[in-house]
Amino acid sequence: MNQYLSQVKAIIWKDFVTELKTRELFSSMFVFAVLVMLIFIFSINLSIVSASQVGPGVLWVAILFAGTLGLNRSFALEKENGCLQGLMLAPVDRSAIFFGKMLSNLAFLLIMEAFLLPVFMIFFNVDIGSHLAPLLAVIFMGTLGFSALGTLLSSLSSNLKTREIMLPILLYPLMVPIAIGSVQLTGQILDGKSLTDMMNWVGLILCFDIIFISASIMTIDHILEE
Amino acid sequence: MTESKPSPNFGPAIQVQGIRKHFGHLEALRGVDFELRKGEFLSLFGPNGAGKTTLIGILSALTRPSSGTAKVAGYDVKEADPEMRREIGVISHASFLYADLSPLENIRFYATMYGVERAEERAIEVIDEVGLKPRIHDRVRTFSRGMLQRLSIARAIVHNPSILFLDEPYTGLDQHASGILKVQLQALHTDQRTILMTTHDFSRGLEMCDRVAILVRGKLALWKSADQVDPADFERLYLETVEQAK
Repeated sequence: MNQYLSQVKAIIWKDFVTELKTRELFSSMFVFAVLVMLIFIFSINLSIVSASQVGPGVLWVAILFAGTLGLNRSFALEKENGCLQGLMLAPVDRSAIFFGKMLSNLAFLLIMEAFLLPVFMIFFNVDIGSHLAPLLAVIFMGTLGFSALGTLLSSLSSNLKTREIMLPILLYPLMVPIAIGSVQLTGQILDGKSLTDMMNWVGLILCFDIIFISASIMTIDHILEE
Repeated sequence: MTESKPSPNFGPAIQVQGIRKHFGHLEALRGVDFELRKGEFLSLFGPNGAGKTTLIGILSALTRPSSGTAKVAGYDVKEADPEMRREIGVISHASFLYADLSPLENIRFYATMYGVERAEERAIEVIDEVGLKPRIHDRVRTFSRGMLQRLSIARAIVHNPSILFLDEPYTGLDQHASGILKVQLQALHTDQRTILMTTHDFSRGLEMCDRVAILVRGKLALWKSADQVDPADFERLYLETVEQAK
């Protein structure tokens, strides 16, 4: 178990050191997310609709689109110089590779979201300070499911020539339940409702998080093989 | 660091029986049989597309054979036992190195993945062995092909494997880099380490090996002891063997 954990930690550490040196992933995800928000801001008249009605949708679209950029890059890094084969040669449980990649993707997304939230506050003129804890919980739950499914599908699509296209085609339809749940929860939190009043949505997101993580552990062996 | 633990049924280091591999309609390997004892060095020659890389993929448990059995260090490759993976090191066309990490970061990472104790010390030791200590903190992206290949050796031996698979290690190297690689491969060839090398370079392949084989269209067309082969006449023997097997 100790070796399993140190292998997972080593994969996360390797991804972080690479990102600290290149700064490619974070900057591209963040700039893209801000641009998505900006485009929506220009196309929405906030004097007609309230920020809590449209803001959550825009926020989650920005997160999902920007996150897809990061996921595409995640396994592309492993394909350069055949590094994934190098990992597969080592006595590493395939689920350790999955968890290492998933947790580093999750961490990169959460960092990006931490910078994106203040931009969201400014663009939509909403005060999230009073709802910060439930909002962070929802963002974490939604991002967890997205990272789990995204990591699995990016490992699958990394072998394809059309991986940049295939990943969103595979990912977005499967993300619908989590996306709907996250948008609903975010909107209601911005309207001042308590998370305990919306346990059906919380349950839905958590169920899909568990399903995506379990399915990934069960299938990653076959996906990474050959 | 991790000691190479012999498996319970440690017979021949590599034992291959009737290995076949299909990729759709293409038959890459058509029944390969051979055995290598511990400490032996096999140079495997063959034209492009003969199945050399596929064979190494199967023996290193990266690719599953369609049929037949292969045992490496006593372990069935189909089981892909983690203990078997600890026994093998692979040097391939690809370096398996992260371009934006330094040699130390790369080798320490692989040492951790192999469960090597005191990973950093061991990483520094093997980087020093391949003569790259002065560049230990530079990005791998800035390295020449020869330096990458030397660092690949450090990666492949960081866990002290008893079996090494070298897939055309001289490809793309200039004469100087090729000479340095030869010295390093000689140092790796000990009584305790079995080596299987595929190559197109006759002189490099013949100067260190104990056994010589030629693979043509997925079948072994020649298997000889190195002392039965005249290096000066090998090109003729190779061309004749390939021609007859086609």
